[in-house]
Amino acid sequence: MSEAQVKVHVDKVNKSYGENHVLRDISLDIAENEVVVMIGPSGSGKSTFLRMLNQLETPDNGTIIVDGYDISDKNTDINKVRENIGMVFQNFNLFNNYTVLENIMLAPVELKKLDKVAAEKKARELLETVGLSDKADMPVSSLSGGQKQRIAIARALAMTPDIMLFDEPTSALDPEMVGDVLDVMKNLAESGMTMIIVTHEMGFAKQVADRVVFFESGKIQESGTPDQVFDAPKNERLQEFLSKVTHA
Amino acid sequence: MFKKGILISFLAMLSITTFVFAMGDNLVHADKPNYIISTDATYPPFDFQDKNNQYVGIDQDILKEISKRENFTYTLKPMSFNSAAQLVSNGQADGIIAGMVITEERKAVYDHSTPYYKTGVAWIVKKDSKIKSLKDLKGKTVALKTGTAASEYGKSLQAKYGFNVKYFNDTDTMYNDVAVGNSAATFEDMPVIQYAIKNGVKLKVMNADNPGNAGWYGFFVKKGENKALLSAFNRGFAAIKKDGTYDKIVAKYLGANQSTFTGAKKDNFSVLGILKANKSAFLKGLWQTIMLTFLGIILASIWGVVLGVMGVSQNKFVRGVSTTIIYIFRGLPLMVLAFFIYIGLPGVIGAKIPAFTAGVLTLVLNEGAYTGAFVRGGFEAVEVGQMEAARSLGLPYRTAMRRVIMPQGLKIMVPSFINQFIITLKDTSILSAIGLLELTQTGSLIVARNSQGFRVWAIVAIMYLIIITLLTWFSNWAQKKLQ
Ligand SMILES: Nc1ncnc2c1ncn2[C@@H]1O[C@H](COP(=O)(O)OP(=O)(O)O)[C@@H](O)[C@H]1O
Ligand SMILES: [Mg+2]
Repeated sequence: MSEAQVKVHVDKVNKSYGENHVLRDISLDIAENEVVVMIGPSGSGKSTFLRMLNQLETPDNGTIIVDGYDISDKNTDINKVRENIGMVFQNFNLFNNYTVLENIMLAPVELKKLDKVAAEKKARELLETVGLSDKADMPVSSLSGGQKQRIAIARALAMTPDIMLFDEPTSALDPEMVGDVLDVMKNLAESGMTMIIVTHEMGFAKQVADRVVFFESGKIQESGTPDQVFDAPKNERLQEFLSKVTHA
Repeated sequence: MFKKGILISFLAMLSITTFVFAMGDNLVHADKPNYIISTDATYPPFDFQDKNNQYVGIDQDILKEISKRENFTYTLKPMSFNSAAQLVSNGQADGIIAGMVITEERKAVYDHSTPYYKTGVAWIVKKDSKIKSLKDLKGKTVALKTGTAASEYGKSLQAKYGFNVKYFNDTDTMYNDVAVGNSAATFEDMPVIQYAIKNGVKLKVMNADNPGNAGWYGFFVKKGENKALLSAFNRGFAAIKKDGTYDKIVAKYLGANQSTFTGAKKDNFSVLGILKANKSAFLKGLWQTIMLTFLGIILASIWGVVLGVMGVSQNKFVRGVSTTIIYIFRGLPLMVLAFFIYIGLPGVIGAKIPAFTAGVLTLVLNEGAYTGAFVRGGFEAVEVGQMEAARSLGLPYRTAMRRVIMPQGLKIMVPSFINQFIITLKDTSILSAIGLLELTQTGSLIVARNSQGFRVWAIVAIMYLIIITLLTWFSNWAQKKLQ
């Protein structure tokens, strides 16, 4: 991978919560347009890692460079970097005090990326792409989980990010809602978005991932193409993990 | 923006009103010296309000006569005896006339006038009491008024006769405690109790011929200060003594019949009659309570929100300041805070603080601290995910607070705000302690002259309930508007 293509560069990052050493010497490079899926048992450090990429968590040491900005450097304006990194949470975290449209428009208008008219136009287009045009003026509390998550994706996209982070975006959904959200994500992947996704949806991973990364005990134990990881796993713990999730 | 404009002009109007309120009683003629004289608000026959809400009594008439002859004016500050005395000792008032006995202790703090009235301490029991001598008080409760010479005399007998002591802030409540049998006896200055009994208080004096600790009433100024006022008082007193004015004044009150000061009897034996006879007093008290509540609520809410916002600041120091302020002002009892601001603070900053301003400041600091605590709590109660989502979009902390966290937090807080508004209204009654003539103090004054405790307090209670009802109704309306 040449320097120009690298979107995310992580080098020897460590993180502890008290005695709990959550991330151990993690290094990982992610290229532009790449879709990386992170799998692993719960508590293995996937969320912590993901949240470090937009500094919702700070590493104890190591280097993290995103979009060319060294975010482990205190002098970096993290708000500027975050504008280009969208994040989608397991629990949606839509702003309860706004309507659907206002949720999507808030950041572009507040950060003066767009004026109100342009922001609304863009918001309506995004609602169209996630298939929820009719919900524009609804309060968010009236939506189902699947709808909320699609709105959350639209909200992140309104800032035209070039990286999207997903932390178990379908884990809090009823099974019949999962498909709609995954479809939106697939389309996004096809459009060339750089994506880092934590998920337990193995079928989805196989379909869209360029690379699958297996986390266990705060370490990347194995990584490779979906074929390598799912069909010919080398790491013993990965084998064990896969047998558990596929037989569950 | 439009709404903000209205709010600002509204606040400006309020501050002007407060200012006028505070200054109103200081408007005086520039050519004569004007003194601030504090007095006990309820100490008949020396100091009390008549049916026209004028302060009258032996002290008041003496003072008025002397001021005429000596060509000075004065602003009267009626309040509880203790506060009235402290007001002089810390320089907030120039002199005090309040049936105050000249004692060695007081000589250390004050300079006093020619003694103007001979007094002594009576000990008093219920009219049909079986108690015969002080010895019978063993194990019983004796009611005393805080800070008076009579109470000190009573206290000095405590060890010898083995009674318990219960303290009161005003005379009327203290008499009542004995009259209903809660306390077995009380100690009071002889002329005061004689006047009260003459006017129908159901008590009797046990030592009319043999007053304890006989002494003299004097007019006091702070030691070493206001020499001109003191000599004016002495000169004037000598004059009214000489020409018989003084004797007339004393005869007027000790020969007085209560209805002279309180209106016709029938006015006092029905709620309507009392309301009619005291209409202007009640209205003034009501208005004062409403103004205090109103300013208290608005300013305390603003201050509370500021404290709450500081409490969730990213800056550790700012958070610490907020926590400390909340801790201090939530911990201080309202009355202590009121006394501190009104009586303690002026000595330090060297400027007089009008009672109304001190009252509002007390409310703002106390209620504001409570408000700050629940505002901070409300912000903290908003899910962390809301902040994380806002920050992940690139919004700075302040923008995220303002646009996402605060609107949600404030919504959570609405019931706490309404609750605090009602508490603020009730707390205004405590400010009667610094002499503010709000509803409770108005009630005390009226009861002091007509002894119709039940009816007057019923009227006052109903007035509070009406304001609380209006306030609740308004708050609920505002809450609906918000959602
Ligand atoms: N804020 C925190 N404080 C303390 N421990 C934490 C915190 N966040 C995560 N952890 C701990 O770090 C470990 C990794 O958590 P996480 O990154 O959420 O794992 P995963 O997303 O893979 O389930 C867990 O043991 C978890 O308890
Ligand atoms: Mg997780």
